[in-house]
Amino acid sequence: MSEILSTISTLVIEGNFGEMVDKTNAALEEGLGAEEILNNGLMPGMDHVGVEFKAGNMFVPEVLRSAKAMQEAMEIIRPMLIESDAPTAGKVVLGTVKGDLHDIGKNLVGMMCEGAGFEIIDLGKDVEPEAFVNAVKEHKPNILGMSALLTTTMRTMERTIKALEEAGVRDTVKVMIGGAPVTQDFASQIGADGYAANAASASEMAKRFAG
Amino acid sequence: MQVKKTNYLVNRTPTFEVLTQEEIEAIYYAALTVLSETGVRVYNKEGYELLGAHGATVEDREENSALVKLPPEMVDIALSTLPRKVVIYGADHEKYKMELFKNQIYFGAGSDTPFTIDPYTAERRRATYKDVKNFARLAQALPNLDFHMSLGIVQDTAVGTYDRWQYLAMLEGTSKPINITAVDKDGLKDQLEMAYIRVGGEKEWLKTPIFSLYIEPVSPLSHSVEVIDKLLFCADHRIPFVYTPCPLAGATAPATLAGTAVQALTESLLGIVLSQLRRPGTPLIIGGLMSAMDMRTAVYSYGSPEMALLSAAYTQITKWLGVPEYETAGCSDAKMYDEQAAMEATMNIAAAALVGGNMIHDVGYLEQGLTSSAEMMVAADEIIDMVKRILRGIPVDDDSKALNVINDIGPGGHYLAHDHTFDRFKDVIWQPKLLDRQNYEGWQATGSKTHRQRVNERVREILDREEEPLLDEKMFKELKRICELADEKYKDQELDLDMFG
Repeated sequence: MSEILSTISTLVIEGNFGEMVDKTNAALEEGLGAEEILNNGLMPGMDHVGVEFKAGNMFVPEVLRSAKAMQEAMEIIRPMLIESDAPTAGKVVLGTVKGDLHDIGKNLVGMMCEGAGFEIIDLGKDVEPEAFVNAVKEHKPNILGMSALLTTTMRTMERTIKALEEAGVRDTVKVMIGGAPVTQDFASQIGADGYAANAASASEMAKRFAG
Repeated sequence: MQVKKTNYLVNRTPTFEVLTQEEIEAIYYAALTVLSETGVRVYNKEGYELLGAHGATVEDREENSALVKLPPEMVDIALSTLPRKVVIYGADHEKYKMELFKNQIYFGAGSDTPFTIDPYTAERRRATYKDVKNFARLAQALPNLDFHMSLGIVQDTAVGTYDRWQYLAMLEGTSKPINITAVDKDGLKDQLEMAYIRVGGEKEWLKTPIFSLYIEPVSPLSHSVEVIDKLLFCADHRIPFVYTPCPLAGATAPATLAGTAVQALTESLLGIVLSQLRRPGTPLIIGGLMSAMDMRTAVYSYGSPEMALLSAAYTQITKWLGVPEYETAGCSDAKMYDEQAAMEATMNIAAAALVGGNMIHDVGYLEQGLTSSAEMMVAADEIIDMVKRILRGIPVDDDSKALNVINDIGPGGHYLAHDHTFDRFKDVIWQPKLLDRQNYEGWQATGSKTHRQRVNERVREILDREEEPLLDEKMFKELKRICELADEKYKDQELDLDMFG
């Protein structure tokens, strides 16, 4: 592996986002392709971060730094990946459902997925079912992620899934849900494709669904 | 940090302090700066317009919210009409009431956990009406629990009206003061109707309000439409309420605990100002529910030392402000009542009591506030009892120094048979009920039971008791009618979901 790719991996692991733009451009100048930078520089770094996080040796703020470093490089190489039809991780549309302003969990999922190479379209909080439907139509994501903290608002997840069905786009997207009162049982009952208990498993599940 | 005795001639209470006077003031004035310079987002037109009409700057209006900045004098004016003492009664108001001010401490359960642990099967499952009633019965039976919260979201009734059913279940189980939750303003309205029925009318309610309402703005610095609706309704109807944000250091608040305290205070001050604008003299209690995010698992830790520390700091700040305070203790991140649960609860109960928090809630919480446990509640009752013994301190006077008695016995004798011992030992020497102090043979002879087994037996003993209902049939029907009418009204919004499937 070229030295620059190994440097890029290290920048990801260290969460050194400040130098990422320069090093990514340097790699491109060396003649490396966007796909190579992604697969042999960025991803090995993020994989290492994932392993260390699972083992309890890295912590959330550190992982988010790594994700940010990854994101800096992705900003540059994503258009090239798309242009060359190279496989990318895909797109995730995210939001906290209607009636709920609790968005820390959703934000974590967004940052973790970003770290896994996904493009994130974050609809924010208090998101109407129709807004989710419109975003699915517009952005054609691989994954739709919904979050709720309250038992009263978690019902809106089912409404959103119904709205997707009515709009005829349910089958175009995998629906993942999460939040404190949400369980696998609940997810199965409302017809979601997946339930993730935390942000790290959400990003792993997203990778499986998009892969 | 220091533990010192203050006023011990008056109340003999050891007090625990984590902030100096200067630090308290620095945090308060910093909160005023955040309130006037950063501002808070209010998702309620009636709310931000009321603030705007009284001197706040309302900017960055969006479809359903606005950024509101309050000059410090609005807080000064609000504090001038804020009640410094809040009294909440039980339905049995002769017997149960909380007078919340200064160092008065009261313990109670937590609220609205989606899950509970069945004390008969040890299964973790969604909470039901019967669970909530049983928790209320436990609260009624346990002497160190002074007020009650549901310890479960009732999920075997309609979702949008569960709050009314929850209140009914609690009224069936306890006549102690209750801190309710409400889905929205309509849910609160219905529960107020229910309380009127329980106390015998609005007039009686005004004399002896039998619940307070738990209201939780969303950190950082956001006050949702329902939160403000409920606050305004409370002010209009003289309902005492708890205004407690739940910031999470490192995630929804600064990682530094002073910064978290500043932000939490900013969030509570908005509640103080708005309530006093709506109706001067509106009683409220400000919280007290702060912790740090666990950076490995990203959960809201309920057993962290930071939670105890922040609770202690906030108690000192509220005492300085002269506002009754809502605190958090008796809770843990453990998944069942086990050694971890006991460790964490003992630590946070001791800190909360020693600092003198007023309304100390969340007794019985496990799993970061997602699961309730009857065993935790029963065990915590004894932890509180033990801590209260420490609070009684060591009175030092002629009788307690006992020079005459020491002289009576002299070198080599014993005190067991002395009148001085006989008359005083029960007051002075604390006696456990669930902790085992037998010798090995005694412990073996009584079944070699672990603490957990004894606690579980105590839970069942209380729950298996036959009791006279607290509500007569007519009253129960009237109360239930309100719940049923609400179900009828909202049935179109219900989804066909079996939460126990």
